Amino acid sequence: MKAIDLSRDAKEFLPRAKSTGVSLWRSLLLLFAALASASLMGAVGFLVLRLVVPTAPVYTSLVFALVSLVLILRWIARAFDWIMPWYYVLPAIVFLFTFTFFPVIMTFVLAFTDYAGTRNGELNIKSETRVLEVDGVVLTIENVRNFDCADLRNGCSGVRTLLYASGNHPTTATHLDGTTLTLEEPAPAGRSVLGVELYLPDLGFGFETDVVAADGATLMLERAPPFPPDLERTTLRLDRDAVTRTMLRDEGAEITLNSPLPDSFEVEAIARYNDFGWVGTGNFRTILRQATSALIPIFTWNVLFAVTTVIVNTVAGVFLAVLLNNPDLRFKALYRTLLIVPWALPNIITLQVWRGFLNQNFGAVNRLLMLFDVTDTPINWLGEMWPARAAVLLVNLWLGLPFMMTATLGALSAIPRELYEAAKIDGANAWQSFWGVTAPLLRTALIPITLTGFAFNFNNFNVIFLLTDGGPPVSWGTSTARGTDILISWAYNEAFRSQGGLAYGLGSAISIVIFVITVAVSLVNFRVTGALREEPNT
Amino acid sequence: MNRNYLSMAGVVAAAATLLTLLVATTPPPVTEELFLVIPRGWIRFLGGFGVVVAALSSCAYLYGRARRPARAGQYALTAGTHLFIWLVIGLVFYPVVYLLSVSFNRNNSVANIPPKGGNLLVRSGVLPDPAEVSLVQYAKVLSDTHLDPYQWGLIVLATLALSTLLGLRAMRKRVDNPYRLERYQQLSAWGIFLCLVALVLSIQPGHFYALNRAGEQIPASSERMIVLYIRNTLLVSGTTGLLAVLLSTTAGYAFARMRFEGRYQTLLTFVFVQMFPSFMALVAIFYLMSYLDLLNTFVGLILAYSGAAIAFSSWIFKGYLESVSPSLEEAAMVDGATRWGAFWRIILPISVPMLLFIFLLQFIGTYSEFILANTILIGQEHWTVGIGLRQFSSGRFDTQWGALAASAVLGSLPILLIFYSFQEALTGQYTAGGVKG
Repeated sequence: MKAIDLSRDAKEFLPRAKSTGVSLWRSLLLLFAALASASLMGAVGFLVLRLVVPTAPVYTSLVFALVSLVLILRWIARAFDWIMPWYYVLPAIVFLFTFTFFPVIMTFVLAFTDYAGTRNGELNIKSETRVLEVDGVVLTIENVRNFDCADLRNGCSGVRTLLYASGNHPTTATHLDGTTLTLEEPAPAGRSVLGVELYLPDLGFGFETDVVAADGATLMLERAPPFPPDLERTTLRLDRDAVTRTMLRDEGAEITLNSPLPDSFEVEAIARYNDFGWVGTGNFRTILRQATSALIPIFTWNVLFAVTTVIVNTVAGVFLAVLLNNPDLRFKALYRTLLIVPWALPNIITLQVWRGFLNQNFGAVNRLLMLFDVTDTPINWLGEMWPARAAVLLVNLWLGLPFMMTATLGALSAIPRELYEAAKIDGANAWQSFWGVTAPLLRTALIPITLTGFAFNFNNFNVIFLLTDGGPPVSWGTSTARGTDILISWAYNEAFRSQGGLAYGLGSAISIVIFVITVAVSLVNFRVTGALREEPNT
Repeated sequence: MNRNYLSMAGVVAAAATLLTLLVATTPPPVTEELFLVIPRGWIRFLGGFGVVVAALSSCAYLYGRARRPARAGQYALTAGTHLFIWLVIGLVFYPVVYLLSVSFNRNNSVANIPPKGGNLLVRSGVLPDPAEVSLVQYAKVLSDTHLDPYQWGLIVLATLALSTLLGLRAMRKRVDNPYRLERYQQLSAWGIFLCLVALVLSIQPGHFYALNRAGEQIPASSERMIVLYIRNTLLVSGTTGLLAVLLSTTAGYAFARMRFEGRYQTLLTFVFVQMFPSFMALVAIFYLMSYLDLLNTFVGLILAYSGAAIAFSSWIFKGYLESVSPSLEEAAMVDGATRWGAFWRIILPISVPMLLFIFLLQFIGTYSEFILANTILIGQEHWTVGIGLRQFSSGRFDTQWGALAASAVLGSLPILLIFYSFQEALTGQYTAGGVKG
C-alpha cells in the first residue's frame, strides 16, 4: 500500500463529485451553435439597420448578437439542462475568445506573412496612374515610378489592382426646363450620375453643374445654365466605376492582367493594392539572420535583466523583511507603510519622472553622486549602454522592492514561532536559527514568487520603454535592437516604429518567440508550485 | 547600573567628538563644471553613518545591560536596525521628495543651474531651491480647467464625506460601541464613491478651454488637461475593474465548485491565454478595433483590456473559493436554494473583500497600462495620464520639467489614495498567500 502523502489536500482522497457525464464535445458544439447563430443574427441585424440608417457603426452588430445570444441561450437551457455549468463560464469565455484568443490566433497567422506598413492590404491611392493604352490584357501606364511594386513580395506578380472606368459619358438630351434635364435615354444602369456638362454654343465652352437628383432619364440640376445649351452635346459625369483584376507581371510601363476588361469598359486609370501574403518561415529566418546583431545579444540581456532584477530585488526584499520581522522592533507598521510608497505610485508616472532624475548634467541622481564624490565624472545614465542597463536595474529595484518586502513579510509571518523556540531550546543562536529555520521555509515560499517575478520582468515593457526607450544605440545592434532593448521592446520597435519599417509580420514572429519562452517559464512555475495540479476530467 | 549610564555618556561624547572632527576636517566643496563636489565625500558620509550607528547601538547595548542584561545584544541590534531602515527610507523617499519639491518650484526647466547661496544641498542642486517655492506649476496645469458649479459642489461634498469618515475612524478608538459608528462610516464611504463617480462621468473635454484676448474660448493646450487625463484613466480603469469582477465571479465559481466535462481544459486555456501579453497581439487588436469602428473610443480600450483581466480574475477567484468551505452553500441548497441562489445569496456576499481586491488590482494595473492605450486612443481628448505625461518627456522636455512634476503628482494622487485606503486589502492578499501563480 502506498503511504498517504500528507502534503496533498485532504479533498483529493475523498470520493469525487459526480460528473454530468455529457461529453465535452456535445457541450462545445451546442455552445458554438448558439454563438454562431447569434453572430449571424448580429450580422443580419446590422445589415438591416444599415438599410435604415446608413451611418450605423459596425459595433451595433455586437449589440444585436448579444440580444439574440441571450434569447437563444434561454431556449437551450430549457431544452438541455446539463448545459448549465457552461453558462457560468460563458460570459468570460466570450470575452476571452473575442479580445484575447482571437488576436493571439491572428498574431500567429500574421507571423507567417509580410504584413507591414507598406503592405497593409489596403488600396494604395498614391499609386494611381493613367492608363495610356489597352491591348487585350496588356495595359500601358503613364507613371511607372508611383506604381512600382518593389516593396511587395514578388514584384507586381499576383498583386490586386483596381481599374477605374472613365467617368465621362457622352449622350444626348431632349429637353431642358429650368433645372430639369430630360435625356434621350436613361443613364447607364448601376452607376450614379454626379454631374452634367452642357455645351453653350453662345460662349463656345461647356457649363458644368452637379446633379441633385436623378430618376431614370430625368435629372435635377443644381443650377440652370445662363444661356440655352446645345442639347446634342451633353456629357454626363458618372461615378468612377471600377473593376478588380490581378496582375500577372509587369515589364516597364506594360502590365499584364489575368483577364481582359469588359467590352464596354473604358479604362481611365489604375491603382494597385498594398498586398501582403504568405512568406512561410521568412520572418523567422529574418530573426535568425539577425542572430548576432539582435537576437542573441538581446536575448542575453533580456535573461540577464530578468534574472538580475529578481535576484537583486529578492535579496534586498528578504534582507529588509528579516530586519522588519524582528519582534523587538517598534514602529514596524509605520516603516512598512512608508517603504511601500514606490508600489503605491503608478509606475507609468514614476518611470517618466525617473527619466528626468537620470539626466546626465542636471539630474538629481548625478548631483547626489557627484556631491559625495562617488564618481569622478557624471555618469551618462541614458546615453551609454552599461550605465543605462544599471539604471534600469536600479529603478526596477526601487519599483519592486516594496512588493518583495511585503511578500517576504507574509511568508515570514507564516513561520510558526514554536520553531524558533524549539531551535532556541536546542541551543541555536540567532544566526543558526535563521539558516536552520527561516531560510529553508522562506525558500519554499519565495520560489513561486521569484518565478512569477522572472516571467513578469522578462516582458517588463514599461520599464524599458518609459525609462530608456530601449536606447542608447550600440555598435553591434540595429536601429531597432539597441542597448537596453529586451525581446518585447525589440518586437515593438520592429512593428510600430518607423526605424523598423512598421514590419507587423516580423513583430508578430518575435512575439511568438517570446510567447514560447514565457509559457516555458510558466510551466516550470506551475510544476514547482503545483498551481495546476488537480485531477483532470473528474 | 550607574556605570552603564556613565559609559553611555562617554559613548555619546566620543561620537560627538568624532562627528565634529569629521565635519571640521571636511575640505570645502569644490566646483567641477556644473557640479559641486566634496572630495572623498562618500568616505566621510559612510564614516559618519558608521559612527552614529556604532554610538546608538552601544548606547542601546548599555541601556539594555542596565534594564535586561540577557537581551542587551538584542537591544543593540534593534537600535542599529532602526537607523539602517531610516537610511533606506531616505533613499526610497529621495525621488519622491525631489519630485514634490520640483512640482512646488517656480523653475520649469530641468537644465537649471543651482543658486550660489543657501545650504549645501541647495547649492549642489541635490534639492531644488526653497526660495523659489510657489504654486505656479499647479496653477499652470490646472488653469484651463473650468468646472461647472455643481461639480465644485460634488468636490466639496466628497471632501466633507472624507473628513466625516476620517473623523469617525478617529472616534472609533474612544467609543464603547464602535459598531454603531460603522454604519455611518459605510455611508460616508459610499458618499465619497458616488460623488467621485458623478465627477468622473460629468467632466467632459468641453470643460477645458482658455480665453483669448477677444474673450473667445479656445481649446486648452495639451499640457493643461491633466484633469481630463486623470478622469479618462479613472473611467477606463474603473470600468475594466467592474467588467473583470462581473464576468469573472460566475466563471471562478463554476471552476471551483462544479464538475463538468471540459472544466479542466477550459481552465488550462484560461491560464495559457492569459500568459500571452495582450500588447503583443497589438497589431491584431488594432486591426480588430478599427474593423469594429472602436478605435479612439474608451469602449474599444476597455474591451481590449477585458480578455486578460477576466482570465486573471477568474483564476484568482477560483483559488479563493477553493479555500472557502462549501458547507454554507450545501446547507442553503439542502434548504431548497438553487445553484444560482446559493451563488447569489451566499457566495457573493461572503466574497465581497475578495471582489474588492480583484477590482482594485485590475484598477491599479489598468491605471499603469501604457502601450494599448497609446495605440488605441489617438485623440488627445481621450488620452490617459501616462500618454499625457509622455508629451513632457519627449520633445519639449527641457522646458516642461516643473509642469511634468506637477502633473505627475496630480496623476499619482488617485492611486496613492486608493492604495493607502485599502492597504490591508491590497497587500494582505499577498501576505496571506491568497494569490497563486
